[in-house]
Amino acid sequence: MSRVNTVLGPIPTEELGLVAVHEHIGYGMPGSELDAKWWKSPEQRYEETVPKLRQFHDYGGGTFVDATGICNGRDVDYYKSLSAKTGVHIVASTGFVGGDTALPFFARASVEYLAEHFIHEITVGIGNTGGRAGIIKVGVSRGGRMTDLDKRIYRAAARAALTTGVPILTHLAIDAETAIAIFNAEGLPLDRVLFGHVDDGVNADKTRDTWIAEQGGRVGFDTFGYETELPDPPFWARPRKERLDHFLRFIGQHLDKALASADANCSALGWPGVKGHTVNYIFEDLIPDLRAAGLDEAVIKTIFVDNPADFLTIQN
Amino acid sequence: MGAQTAENTTGNTVNTVLGPVPAQQLGVVAVHEALLSVVPGAEYAFDVTIDRAEIFETLAEKLKDFRRHGGGTIVDSTGMFHGRDVRLYEALSRTTGVHIVASAGQGPEEMLGGYFLTPQTNPPTPWPAEKFAELFAKEVTEGMVVPRVERRGAAGLVATTATLAGMTATDESLFRGAARAAMTTGVPVSIRYGDDAVRDLEVVLDEKLPAARVVVGGLDRKDAVAAGAPLEVATRGAYVGLDHVGAEDDAHITDAERAALVAELVEAGHGNRILLSSNAIGVAKGHPANDLPYSYVLTTFVPLLKAQGLGDEDVRRILVDNPRDLLSVR
Repeated sequence: MSRVNTVLGPIPTEELGLVAVHEHIGYGMPGSELDAKWWKSPEQRYEETVPKLRQFHDYGGGTFVDATGICNGRDVDYYKSLSAKTGVHIVASTGFVGGDTALPFFARASVEYLAEHFIHEITVGIGNTGGRAGIIKVGVSRGGRMTDLDKRIYRAAARAALTTGVPILTHLAIDAETAIAIFNAEGLPLDRVLFGHVDDGVNADKTRDTWIAEQGGRVGFDTFGYETELPDPPFWARPRKERLDHFLRFIGQHLDKALASADANCSALGWPGVKGHTVNYIFEDLIPDLRAAGLDEAVIKTIFVDNPADFLTIQN
Repeated sequence: MGAQTAENTTGNTVNTVLGPVPAQQLGVVAVHEALLSVVPGAEYAFDVTIDRAEIFETLAEKLKDFRRHGGGTIVDSTGMFHGRDVRLYEALSRTTGVHIVASAGQGPEEMLGGYFLTPQTNPPTPWPAEKFAELFAKEVTEGMVVPRVERRGAAGLVATTATLAGMTATDESLFRGAARAAMTTGVPVSIRYGDDAVRDLEVVLDEKLPAARVVVGGLDRKDAVAAGAPLEVATRGAYVGLDHVGAEDDAHITDAERAALVAELVEAGHGNRILLSSNAIGVAKGHPANDLPYSYVLTTFVPLLKAQGLGDEDVRRILVDNPRDLLSVR
């Protein structure tokens, strides 16, 4: 039986449909909840979020993978209500966006404890929500190199992935040699790992995307839409054509390893967000661009349906 | 009142979780305690249970015990990011009749969220003092946050802490921010120093905050006592927090030594600068509890002070007048 954990319960892989594999309902750095300048009423949050998910659903989107880590404003009860009312499957994460978003309790924890925590969230549930995590988020802290805490989290994630069959999604794919050494040491097949953000404006030059694919890792071009052409682009933005060309080069070699997403916030929690950028960039801009570049529907299905289904399906 | 009482705070108020209270009504104050203490992040841990009804019952019992033994006011000095639960404290204060003063502030650096240390800017520069000052001051002028929900009553003090191994650059920003928030709002500052009490005190004094608006906690640590820090701090005019009464560990002096230290400070003319507390933790999540009763100072330590020759006037000054003067909003 093939299955994927969503916040409303396991679903068959066949029901995933088109997957936005690296997105956020709302992301905020830990501690941002203390700064009232970012607060939004529940009315405003639903108002900003529901139309985007409804549009995603209407475009034919099936599944929204929320890559928000444990201390980043992840809110599974809220996701459950959104999923139930819009019909979009939502997959929630366990794990951390990076060591620098793990609060002291987890920053001090052992690899064994972190693994136990991740496994609990995957097999029993997240807090008392009943929702189970369908993916494990890990990442590289600001600064370009994996910190000791980042490494502990990667190792714990590898163990939890092996135990539960749930895959790993990374924030940043820089310092990939270090990450892959940890996964290899733990015996985790690299096709259970999606190395994300290989395409962002800050790190693309430093990210060995084809090398990662050659090792067997999956590769995420998942910051589509953060473009320097935006009126107020974030610092990780990149020229639209440069990213697209990069992606086209990559899928020419490693289509079976390629995934794509927009990393957009439906309603940002601890930062302004990026106006005009939504998950629906996938339908409104990216897929049309891919078609214009001559890709056929089978390739598009591989990128957005088949590859994510292989990746997300619990392996055990 | 003796000649050692420097300030007249007769008409002042103190910010409690139920609103401003006339300073004269505080009674005996335990100035450095914790009600609910949660290591940041522990609230998300799979094996940590936060049962509010159970926490309430435990805390209410401890507050009633404090009141039975003559206690009037508990100061939760754990800051705004270590389990502070303002609505719970309001209910506890209403139920038990004990005044509860809660604190803004946070620290040391290690205990901060990434929002303050690695913000979404390039490069990710940690917050400067001015931003902490604004964050802390709003907890007084606009009310303490219930994160992402609402603001409640005004914070009664700003509490911050330096890294034990020595103040970091971000700790210094926290200290300076706390001092500036105190200057603009009139509430006092509580600092817990790193490896040098007097040096860390100088950081907040450098912001032109009057020393009489500062309590330096942890001055019953062995290293501070050995360095003569309690007398130095009192001489500068700040409050000397001997706030591990009842602690039996390697880091702190014993109660007998603590009582002798109090007597020495009184003898030296600093009776108006001494504060006593236990750093008891009512309910701890994600870390070990310090399960002393809040009444420990009253029941167990005051007799030791009397044995040192302190009179009722001295004891009253230390337990009632000094914290009243410190907590009075100026």
